[in-house]
Amino acid sequence: MADVGRVRIRLPSTIKAGEIVKARVLVIHPMEIVQRKDGKVVDKNYLFINRVVVSYLDREIAQFETTQSISENPFFTFAFKATDPGVLRVAFLDTHGGKYEGTADVKLS
Amino acid sequence: METEHTMGGITRRALLQVTGTLGLSSLVVVVLGRLRAAGAQGNPANLVPEEPVDATMKRLFAGRPIKDGSGVIKLDAPLIAENGAVVPVTIEVDAPMTAQSYVKTIYVISDKNRRPMNVKFALTPAMGQAYVGTNLRLGESTDVRAVVELSDGSLLQAKREVKVTVGGCGG
Repeated sequence: MADVGRVRIRLPSTIKAGEIVKARVLVIHPMEIVQRKDGKVVDKNYLFINRVVVSYLDREIAQFETTQSISENPFFTFAFKATDPGVLRVAFLDTHGGKYEGTADVKLS
Repeated sequence: METEHTMGGITRRALLQVTGTLGLSSLVVVVLGRLRAAGAQGNPANLVPEEPVDATMKRLFAGRPIKDGSGVIKLDAPLIAENGAVVPVTIEVDAPMTAQSYVKTIYVISDKNRRPMNVKFALTPAMGQAYVGTNLRLGESTDVRAVVELSDGSLLQAKREVKVTVGGCGG
């Protein structure tokens, strides 16, 4: 699981000022409920993303409380209003204190 | 794939209670380096409980009236999900997103999942539009609901049935 924590953010290639943009974000994460060693359940590990924080222009604009019912490699899409050029930051936090962050530059055409 | 059914006659609840203590102690050993002081984040005791959907609805909304929102909530989910482990859903609410009136929270609840509350989206007017989506794990065929809370505290709900051919919780 060397990839765990990699965040991918996709935005449309052209964004006009004030446009409502749909962002697609994903983090590589097992969303594990049980831990397995050689196929056997060894521990109820509960290692899953349970919080997502979305910030834009250094202001928090959304927060998601997530659970084990979200698929592996959690994917989210959401709309936000692209008012100014700046950074869209998405942080994923998991139940073991892991924090995985990704950013995307919002460039206005 | 995760196994979450009864094992050898022991109910999952009993197993959880027994292994809860064991699980916690081994958690400390294994993740001592990574566990932050943010106890609330990683404490399994704070996990959303396994409960029937009526208990979830009561716990979340405490008997507040929930109006039919099918006129303004567009809940997109497949009619039949071939793979219960990845079921895409999107929710769009036809409502303003201004400081005076906006969609504050969108809850996604799957009635038949062991923990019916799947995700809670907390939004602000900066979103511009109440549109969210994710991929769910569904254990079996179920109603999937979107419960929308507006900034004035009113609640609206829309739901649709999703048939699941192969359960996404290790079935």
